[in-house]
Amino acid sequence: MTRHHPDTLSLMDYSAGNLSEPHALCIRLHLDQCPHCRSRVDTLDSLGAVMMENQPQVGVSSDMFDSILSRIDSEPDMTEKYISSRTKRVSPLQKLLGEDLNALPWKRQLGDVSVLDISEKFPGQREQVVLQKLAAGGKAPAHTHRGDETTIVLQGAFADHKGVFNQWDFVVLNEEDDHKPVAVGCEDCITLSVLSAPVKLTGTFTRLLNPFIR
Amino acid sequence: MTTLDQKPARGEGRKDPWSQLLLKVGKNQDRQAYHALFEHFGPQIKYYAMANGLASHAEELVQEVFVSIWRRSCLYDWRKAAASTWIFTIARNQRIDMLRKMKRTSAEMPVETEDLWQIPGENDDEPVTSLHRLMSERRVRESLSQLPEEQITVIAKVYMESKSHQMVADELNIPLGTVKSRVRLALNKLKVILQDQNV
Repeated sequence: MTRHHPDTLSLMDYSAGNLSEPHALCIRLHLDQCPHCRSRVDTLDSLGAVMMENQPQVGVSSDMFDSILSRIDSEPDMTEKYISSRTKRVSPLQKLLGEDLNALPWKRQLGDVSVLDISEKFPGQREQVVLQKLAAGGKAPAHTHRGDETTIVLQGAFADHKGVFNQWDFVVLNEEDDHKPVAVGCEDCITLSVLSAPVKLTGTFTRLLNPFIR
Repeated sequence: MTTLDQKPARGEGRKDPWSQLLLKVGKNQDRQAYHALFEHFGPQIKYYAMANGLASHAEELVQEVFVSIWRRSCLYDWRKAAASTWIFTIARNQRIDMLRKMKRTSAEMPVETEDLWQIPGENDDEPVTSLHRLMSERRVRESLSQLPEEQITVIAKVYMESKSHQMVADELNIPLGTVKSRVRLALNKLKVILQDQNV
């Protein structure tokens, strides 16, 4: 059972279709496992429907319905494709990363921490998307965060001073969160994190200033 | 539109007329019902496209949405969403999809739009829960009419114009915090009103 949920404003941005792809993925993975948030999103989707209904309406071309009908008649029947796609569903995570998270080409970073940057799976998005793995029982060094970092737990659990975060829990951290997570339980803890565009300085002073903004 | 005048069958009393029409499309490929849906939702979706900056593709979006409605209607489950909510999510997804495809080729998109944004009632194993879902639209409509205009304006910009809270703040020339608190107040009120009604 998940205990840490996305806040209502993020769910509204999701329902309105305004989130970046990696952020939407984090919310989607949480929704798949959290009836509570799913029901909040249902209400928000209804809000979208009512907002659309309350706006001015714009007439459509008189021949549009006919062209829609002729498209439907000329295209192959897709009904079966939709029905089978529902029965043989593959989670978005599996589509993206394959079946075994542990078998990914992890890069050992330091001590108990391994990372894998998967930003290239989201072309055109500005955020950095990273998987992080903390070995079972392992500790990550104390650290803060640059900008907002949205994280969802994919496997295992970790704990810090704010509590225990289990599988499918959702957490947003920022510069003010100085934490020292520990993997709890007998599994490695794997998280998916989306980091808002890091500050990048360009020009002559780059090398000089960068160490100070890390 | 004679379809709307027919008396609902037993047990169908909770379905709104649009959901009944959509079910007919799904079950019998009923083109008259499909046309009635088009007349009602087509102009809404066209405005949605224009408000979202897709003016030159507005009619294309309406077409894509309706082709998608036809194909998926067999999956529509009235117990999981009212037709208008279901159609809103399809319009939203087609808008996102259209923008994604304008920017890059499909080979560059390992994740499909629908892997990220879900249509209610699809990819959803949970047993049919609730009247909660079904009724939520009616409640939202009633609650919304009680909100102050300034809150509705902010929500409309988020939903209809895909604006971030920061963009709404810039446009209305108010602080970001004010935008967020208006949204929170509105969403709380929607929820509070629901609780008051004991749902």
